[in-house]
Amino acid sequence: MVKATRGTLVKCDASIKAMLLDIDSKNGNDFIIEDLDEEHILVKETKIAQLKQRLQSMMKERLKEPESSESEA
Amino acid sequence: MPPKRKAQAAVADEDSGLEDTVEAEMSDQETYDRLRSTFDVKAMSRAAKAKQPRDAASFLFKKCDQWDAPLKPDHANRPLWVDDAGRIILESFSPIFKDAQDFLINIAEPQSRVSRIHEYSLTTHSLFAAISIGQTGKEIIDTLERYSKTALSPTVIKFIEKSTGSFGKAKIVLKKTLSYIESDDPAILQRLLADNEIASCRADATVGLITEVAPKIGVMAIPGTKLAAGANQVAQQVEATAEEALAPSDNDMIAALREDDEDEEIAQVHSFQIHSEKREAVVKRCQDIGLPLTEEYDYESDQHNAKLDIDLRPHAQIRYYQEKALGKMFSNSRARSGIIVLPCGAGKTLVGITAACGVKKSCMVLCTSAMSAVQWRAEFLKWSNISSDDIAVFTSENKTVFPGNAGIIISTYTMITSTRNRSHDSEKVMKFIQDREWGLLIADEVHVVPAQIFKKVTHEIASHAKLGLTATLLREDDKIGDLNFLIGPKLYEANWQELSEQGHIAKVQCAEVWCQMTPEFYTEWLKPSSVQKRALLAVMNPRKFQACQFLIEYHERRGDKIIIFADNVFALEKYAKKLGKAYIYGDTPQAERLRILENFQHNDQVNTIFLSKIGDTSLDLPEATCLIQISSHYGSRRQEAQRLGRILRAKRRNDEGFNAFFYSLVSKDTDEMYYSSKRQAFLVDQGYAFKVITRLEGMELNTNLAFYTPQDRRELLMDILLSKETDADTENIKGDMFGSTFASTGRKGRRKANGKRTAGTLSELSGGQDMAYIEYNKSRNKELNKKAKTVNNSFLRKLQTTSSKKRVAKEL
Repeated sequence: MVKATRGTLVKCDASIKAMLLDIDSKNGNDFIIEDLDEEHILVKETKIAQLKQRLQSMMKERLKEPESSESEA
Repeated sequence: MPPKRKAQAAVADEDSGLEDTVEAEMSDQETYDRLRSTFDVKAMSRAAKAKQPRDAASFLFKKCDQWDAPLKPDHANRPLWVDDAGRIILESFSPIFKDAQDFLINIAEPQSRVSRIHEYSLTTHSLFAAISIGQTGKEIIDTLERYSKTALSPTVIKFIEKSTGSFGKAKIVLKKTLSYIESDDPAILQRLLADNEIASCRADATVGLITEVAPKIGVMAIPGTKLAAGANQVAQQVEATAEEALAPSDNDMIAALREDDEDEEIAQVHSFQIHSEKREAVVKRCQDIGLPLTEEYDYESDQHNAKLDIDLRPHAQIRYYQEKALGKMFSNSRARSGIIVLPCGAGKTLVGITAACGVKKSCMVLCTSAMSAVQWRAEFLKWSNISSDDIAVFTSENKTVFPGNAGIIISTYTMITSTRNRSHDSEKVMKFIQDREWGLLIADEVHVVPAQIFKKVTHEIASHAKLGLTATLLREDDKIGDLNFLIGPKLYEANWQELSEQGHIAKVQCAEVWCQMTPEFYTEWLKPSSVQKRALLAVMNPRKFQACQFLIEYHERRGDKIIIFADNVFALEKYAKKLGKAYIYGDTPQAERLRILENFQHNDQVNTIFLSKIGDTSLDLPEATCLIQISSHYGSRRQEAQRLGRILRAKRRNDEGFNAFFYSLVSKDTDEMYYSSKRQAFLVDQGYAFKVITRLEGMELNTNLAFYTPQDRRELLMDILLSKETDADTENIKGDMFGSTFASTGRKGRRKANGKRTAGTLSELSGGQDMAYIEYNKSRNKELNKKAKTVNNSFLRKLQTTSSKKRVAKEL
């Protein structure tokens, strides 16, 4: 029997994709439906908001933000 | 006040033993810190600001709100503002910009010099420098007032008065090898003598002070300039008339600003003598009580030390900014200790040599590596008429002294300060150095020397004057301020953009190339692993590799000579071997280095070389016109500037429309992005603009690039993951200040690899097993090697090929 799942196409940089895959694998493959190619993945529509938030917190954690000029501080 | 008591105790310690203990150094640090906090313009303005009225926009100008400063009616003609925090903003398009800049460079530290607006800041150190080159507090305030668009705020005036009141009033001079404290104002000396400790160091028995007529302030004739032709008197007149000729008459306002207030009074100086051996203690104590001493050397009347026969050769041309810098050092015909800051490639060495020619006494030159020591010697022989016997080099390979009474010794910081047991030869040379009195100490690349090391240097070498040379007076660890007290104030700092406009250094296009990480690499990067491993993954990013290859091919086609910098030796080797280029790193033997460099300079088959950190400074490669940086030392601004310096001296810089190129390759979404933005800060302040390139045009079309297939990329990834932890570490260079633990911030050097035991048969090891070998990723270094020695005889050639085959087999 054919089963349909509503999905959203996510287009991103290769590095961000790697992060998304990482989140997915750590959460029991709950987010991604299909890994299409280097820059595209199909994500469950219902999980988009949660994925976004997780990605943001991960980026915050892993990457140091370039400092804005200090003179304004 | 407990810290003070401790400092005193430490000083007393020194008095008794004259041995610098760790404790004494610690207390020094306190002294500096205290001095810094006492004279801080920001702290002063903060106190004043509390009383200021506030309005709705105040929060936008947290540091200094100048809204109520009255604007002068003719403000359009005046070029600058001064705010409460001592920051000076200068319009570089103003007609009197040049004069204002000349003035500001004396009294303030340049913070940022971009094309239209320059920013300076008034600090105690900069004022100390201004005072020590003979300006008075009143002069500074008057001139600032004249240039300022608004009335000077009382805070700034108070700050200048307060600091100039205490700085530079007293000088320490060596006359006939005896130390004197000298001042125009007897009251200052009395104040010093009131201090018990200083009084106890006094050497002369008389109650009063020695008073004599001040030496006439003449213009020191800097060798190599026009002035040197005539006598001092004549020179003075020439300059006076030249100044008049320069003064324009078209604009009254401007003319008024240029007026020179010349005091023609006959000044008297007062002095008292101190024990030479207590000199350090006195200098320290004077800093402690807020009256730092300026250090000067009256070299012309010094009969005690033998004169060195040295002069500039006639072909040596001193450029105007070098003359300016030296003029600051040698005013009123005394040599003054201090630091001169010139961009890389602008002729720092020549400044040092000219200074040595001016002093004409024994001279000690300290540099960062043995390689640059050799270069210094060659430069000395090239620009001056010193005989080659009188100039010795003291490094680990070369331990000689000069035969006569006077001469020059060139050494490295590590040689002088080494605490390990020395060999007999070097012990002898050290003794020779310690036992004599030096006229001038030239400290090259002075920014790399940590305070303790330099203190040690000054203890070992008794020199009258010290000259520090550097391109980048900055450190990541804020220790740069200490140099002000250890060597002297900053005497001169050149404007990079101005020099490149005039063609003294090359024009450089800077670009930051963002390289995407490939998914496999990024997945690996995201995994928790050591910092080194992650850095290595970012460096070895195949996209970065391709970008590097692409840029090399592009610039080689244009006929550029390319240097590629990689801090990481593992990556350096991988890149160089894959691309078939020569490379040099710390372990490359000296002979091989020289051969590679020679090939790079003269052989048009070798257009690209890879260098590790050893190439950062003091490596003279005027052929290089393009520079690619693939990995770097965290956020070090100094390294970035020093590397840029490698292409500033480009030979072709005077060609019409010539540009040198500086690329920094950065892996996107990694820590490199963060560090890269930090690294650029200094160069941006010098007026360089970094272009960001996110995509290299035509790179996708090129299928010849390395790691084009996913298969190759995976192999590379495996390679990296299997590499040892130590490979990922940055290299540690012996005999070089950069690799030392003081210079870098607390990173451990590379551990020595232990031997590895594996089982195997003897025949296997000797190549007796039936196996054919072929070498992939051949090192280009070897090829250059072979080219150098071609053997014509067929038998010998055969012999050589078999032996080299064996060698290859062994290496595999």
